[in-house]
Amino acid sequence: MRASIQGRFGDRLILVAVVALAICWLAPIFWVIGLSFKPNDVIMKTTGGLLSPPFTLKNYTDIIATSAVFGWMLNSAIVATGQTLLTLALSTLAGYGFARTDFPGKRLVFVAVLAGLAVPEQAIIVPLHTMFAEANLHNTYFGLIAPRLAVPFGVFLMTQYFRGIPAEIEEAAMLDNASRFKIFLRIVLPLSIPAQATLGIYTFLHAWNEYFWPLVSATKPEMYTLTIGLAATQTNFAQTEGIGFLMAQAVFAGLPVLILYLFFQRHIVTAVSGGFAK
Amino acid sequence: MTSIVLKRVSKKFGTTSVISDLSLAIDPGEFTVFLGPSGCGKSTLLRMIAGLEDVTSGEIEIEGQRIDRAPPGERGVAMVFQNYALYPHMSVRENLSFGLKNIGMPKAQIDERVQAAARMLEMDALLERRPSQLSGGQRQRVAIGRAIVKEPRAFLFDEPLSNLDAALRSRTRVELSRLHQRMKATMIFVTHDQVEAMTMATRIVVMNQGRVEQVGTPLGIYRRPATRFVAGFIGSPAMNFLKVEPAAGEGGMAAVRLGDGTVVQTDIPTAGLEAVPAELGVRAEHVTTGGGIPATVDVVERLGDRTLVYSRLRNGAAVVYEDEGDSPVSVGDAVSLGFRRQFLHLFDASGKAHQAPTLEGGPRHG
Amino acid sequence: MAEAAALSRPAGVVGRRTWANGLFVLPFFLTFLALMVLPLGVGMWLSFQDYDMLGGYGGSVGFENFTRLWEDKIFLRSVLNTVYFVCLSTPAFVALGLFLAISLNDTYRRSAVLRSIFFGSSVLSVTIVTLIWRLVYMPERGLLAVSAGAVGLSSPSFMTTESLAMPGIAIVTVWWIIGLPMMLFLAALQQIPREVYEAAALDNASRWTTLTRITLPSIRRTIVLVAVIEVILQFQIFGQVHLITNGGPNNATRPIVMFIYEAGFRDWSLGYAAAASQVLFVLMLAASFFQIWIGRSKQED
Repeated sequence: MRASIQGRFGDRLILVAVVALAICWLAPIFWVIGLSFKPNDVIMKTTGGLLSPPFTLKNYTDIIATSAVFGWMLNSAIVATGQTLLTLALSTLAGYGFARTDFPGKRLVFVAVLAGLAVPEQAIIVPLHTMFAEANLHNTYFGLIAPRLAVPFGVFLMTQYFRGIPAEIEEAAMLDNASRFKIFLRIVLPLSIPAQATLGIYTFLHAWNEYFWPLVSATKPEMYTLTIGLAATQTNFAQTEGIGFLMAQAVFAGLPVLILYLFFQRHIVTAVSGGFAK
Repeated sequence: MTSIVLKRVSKKFGTTSVISDLSLAIDPGEFTVFLGPSGCGKSTLLRMIAGLEDVTSGEIEIEGQRIDRAPPGERGVAMVFQNYALYPHMSVRENLSFGLKNIGMPKAQIDERVQAAARMLEMDALLERRPSQLSGGQRQRVAIGRAIVKEPRAFLFDEPLSNLDAALRSRTRVELSRLHQRMKATMIFVTHDQVEAMTMATRIVVMNQGRVEQVGTPLGIYRRPATRFVAGFIGSPAMNFLKVEPAAGEGGMAAVRLGDGTVVQTDIPTAGLEAVPAELGVRAEHVTTGGGIPATVDVVERLGDRTLVYSRLRNGAAVVYEDEGDSPVSVGDAVSLGFRRQFLHLFDASGKAHQAPTLEGGPRHG
Repeated sequence: MAEAAALSRPAGVVGRRTWANGLFVLPFFLTFLALMVLPLGVGMWLSFQDYDMLGGYGGSVGFENFTRLWEDKIFLRSVLNTVYFVCLSTPAFVALGLFLAISLNDTYRRSAVLRSIFFGSSVLSVTIVTLIWRLVYMPERGLLAVSAGAVGLSSPSFMTTESLAMPGIAIVTVWWIIGLPMMLFLAALQQIPREVYEAAALDNASRWTTLTRITLPSIRRTIVLVAVIEVILQFQIFGQVHLITNGGPNNATRPIVMFIYEAGFRDWSLGYAAAASQVLFVLMLAASFFQIWIGRSKQED
């Protein structure tokens, strides 16, 4: 009896703490959304009266009129989509090869690829930049897409997934006169859709938010991705007259991802955490 | 004429030998069961016939044509897997027709065969469902149907009943036997369950450690096991084995002395024995009461129609015997046992078995 | 027979061993060689060269780049800063992630909503996160200053105070990606069989005892895993600092990656930057091995 009252009190206390934390998590976002609806000259003086007029939509109409944000979004979309499709293709093929087939030297190749998981982006970014400069690949979509394709994470994920599918299904297909290529196309690909979705979402999100490589590779404003474009506008933040405009841009850029997140929450969570758990 | 012939087939995984120098001929229309404990190589053998494993040496022929290097799809065999291995993303109809499409069969003929198989297996209503929407027993039928539509030269079953519950398993046994009688097809069935082997097989191949221990009809193997391994593996409850020493027999027939000193006379001619008998084997149903060998009752299992009595001889040796369903026997009772001499088995140190020449091997097949 | 099959070939392999099967792996492997192995090799070579985009190639210099790094006060400071940041953020990720996971590990709707809130910020890019937090940390008009003012306090200026800048960056980072450790812990908690808790309840275990003797030991592997992941991730801190403080005030927040960025892409001293990359790589490997080793030795106790 006493224990349960204590337990209930403890539960309440924890709930209050968690809710308070959640408010801390949300407050900055609502703060920024609020500021994006305020006229710039008002924000320059005070940000106190957030909930009282004047309000304005000018910051948002300015985006449509003047901001390069649409171009950046398009660049981000092209880069993220390209990187996702190519990663899926390479990882699915290689994952299947490692999990289900045997060829001379397989073990050695697999260990080498696994070791690649330990290499951080920063360890190779300087030479990579030099190589891409030699090949005139900077400020191209290919140049933005390519480096992440070598990261073995997806291969690892797909290998694990294929190992979990009973091999007998493919053996049954062999007895059904299906060629290796047909088995891959008609049996393996359809069965790997859940893993493809996970890897696809993870890759897309990562590409969409990537910072370091586009920062050094996309130096021409017309090749900026959304992340780099927003970074460029905030470097002279202190002097800027248009905090409201900046915030409207942040909201405008962040909203699509947040809306996608609300719709595909479960998949995104699996994609982001599932990969690491393995 | 034989349907499937294995000639001196061996299989090695690295340095481990799984099948060694195995030869076997299977007649057309036979229901052959590969029976043995897990790890004896029976599934590997089946997968070698299917083409899912390569043979290390030896030859495999189907209908006189050597196939051991042919790809699985070209061997004209169909296989039913233990976990069914249905294509999860295809409907039942697509599962059945996938293999037929792959050989370019006209659509009308495919439909006809799928319909016929569905009717035979009573799953017409399930054709548009996905495997995930089926029960275990239904999946089993689809797996069998996928084999039937191909009209293969041989059906291969790899422990297909082990994922079913007990009731469904015994029903499926009967259905498979019925299917075999109707289709008159050559079937090979792999199992570690002697009941499945005894009930369905026209011929049983008992395997142990990559070798064939004995080939024969179910009753033949039950009555005249060739080795101690077969004698112990077939039959439930397991045969009683008693350590013995040779004794002086009468009329040219061997006699042995049990651990408690009792001498047991057999109908097995001494002339046929190549070595000194080391063990006496007797099945529970061939132990009688009132034979003069004293024993004490340990455990009583009442099965309704009969009673299994676990007893111990004076030297502690265990003997199980069968009694009537309403036997008054109870734990602790002193009983007196005897053995029906025409049904006794003698095993020498190498494990070779000997029976009385008069003991019938059961109805011969073919 | 499954055991026997396992002897023959790696489990799950279908079909024969042929060279042609290598074609499945080839496209990725070529990409991997060209864009991972090759740059790794070039980077190691570069770190022993005097190679400056502006000054040109000055030949091989042996370990000179590394000895220069050893004497470079700004680099040493950046190493210390990075280690300091990892020491601030990793325990916070583990502790807060555990707290949230344990508190929200139930099927109530409100817990699902709270989980979404804490995970949601992870999907934002670093540039949006820094925009948001600059508006929070902004002196006088920022959210922090305004809310402190509302209750009659004055808030410290995080981004301009040397001792507060790095903790401030750590807060931003925790706010940004607490979702990952929380979700990893939640996944681990759900693996604990309900029967274990029922047995503990029958044994009259208090809530605290259940937490410390059942729950935490059951997910110890995940705790180590999360710690290793966070150390690896946080060693690479760059974007937040680059955008909020740009390394300041007075170099207090400049991490190793930013040093590499400035050496390689502002000063164009490629050899020098490559050498710093190698140091970062080695430090990260050492840190994660150390963590795994600690996790192992604890398990052996």
